Amino acid sequence: MVSNKASQGGSIIVITIIIAMLLMLIPIAESLRFARPEWVLMTLIYWAMALPHRVGVGFAWCIGLLMDVLMGGALGIEAFSYAFVIYLILRFHLQLRQYPLWQQALSIMSLVLVVNVPAVVMSSNFASWQVLLPALTTTLLWPIIYAFLRALRRAFHVS
Amino acid sequence: MNYFSPTRSALSTAVYPIQLIAAFPSDASEWISEFFQNRDDLKQKNTALEATNLLNNIRLQKLQNLERENMRLRQLLGSSFRLTERVLVAELLSIDLDPFSQQVIINKGLYQNIFNGQPVLDAHGVMGQVTEVNKFSSRVVLLTDPSHGLPVQINRNGLRAVAIGRGMGEPLKLEHLAHNADVRVGDVLVTSGLGGRFPVGYPVGTIIHINYPQGKAFADISVRPAAQLETSRELLLVLPNAPRAENKQVIPAEDLQ
Repeated sequence: MVSNKASQGGSIIVITIIIAMLLMLIPIAESLRFARPEWVLMTLIYWAMALPHRVGVGFAWCIGLLMDVLMGGALGIEAFSYAFVIYLILRFHLQLRQYPLWQQALSIMSLVLVVNVPAVVMSSNFASWQVLLPALTTTLLWPIIYAFLRALRRAFHVS
Repeated sequence: MNYFSPTRSALSTAVYPIQLIAAFPSDASEWISEFFQNRDDLKQKNTALEATNLLNNIRLQKLQNLERENMRLRQLLGSSFRLTERVLVAELLSIDLDPFSQQVIINKGLYQNIFNGQPVLDAHGVMGQVTEVNKFSSRVVLLTDPSHGLPVQINRNGLRAVAIGRGMGEPLKLEHLAHNADVRVGDVLVTSGLGGRFPVGYPVGTIIHINYPQGKAFADISVRPAAQLETSRELLLVLPNAPRAENKQVIPAEDLQ
């Protein structure tokens, strides 16, 4: 019975991640492209925080690898940074759960900055200030995404 | 050396459906707007297209004449002339990739015999080249990507240079041209064919700005690409020609084999 429940929850996790991937790819106005929030990372962070036994570092690494392929980056950059962020989340998920939402959002801002660092070092637009924008938009969206995914998790009894 | 490219290609093929779904909304909106176009608009467009077609046909006749004349003259000189290249039309997927690199995905892949390094053009000029080939799609790096360099020559005097991309809608940069090089604003650049990737003579762009910084060895030259990188949806992939002999007197083709 437990395994049955787990498999049902798994499909919800995968579906939310696929939707997040679509949100990363859907064309938006040229001026907003640099401010696109890190949808996939946000979703992964939520699931890792809520269900640390379901979403691990390996899973995050695989999703990161797919993101590298989807976005046309060098293979392994996103994979490494996603795995690193999810490691930190898993390490501190008990503290993070206790924080008020705004404090959670701030911690996530610093983690998104961590994700962007390797990508920026690898690219030739090294000093562009625009690399800071995704961290900002991700922070602003975090409370909404958190509430939405929590409602989803409760509605579908993902555990 | 490239152990990872088969892996990457397999992964890309696996995630291609996600890219297709992401491209669907903008495709659908385009179909809908096409479907509900009114009759007068269509008629107007049709007349305009017929007019351009007529003009193009006249130009083509002239061009064919010139081409034949060119071939005759080259025969007199003893060097062979390259036939016109054949092209394959591909459409690009309307999805956003990494905003810090200039790349697009096109809907043709291994099944259509696309190969790595294949030159990509649009109706106005060179767009870039293929960097990754998957089963049903390929990735094209545009000539504005900071990692892309294109061997060019100035149409007016044949001066050769390399055009480097600067990314994000910025003009290209001509590298390593001295202050006294014969370059003018408005000069048209075409591909030089050096390097063997791009065919000779396709338009690359126009020089829009020249700056001579004091104390620097080289001039700072900006080039606006001829291709409409932001708006073109249909791309042309150049198919390779069987004979690639440039000048038979210098390098006999038999000696190369």
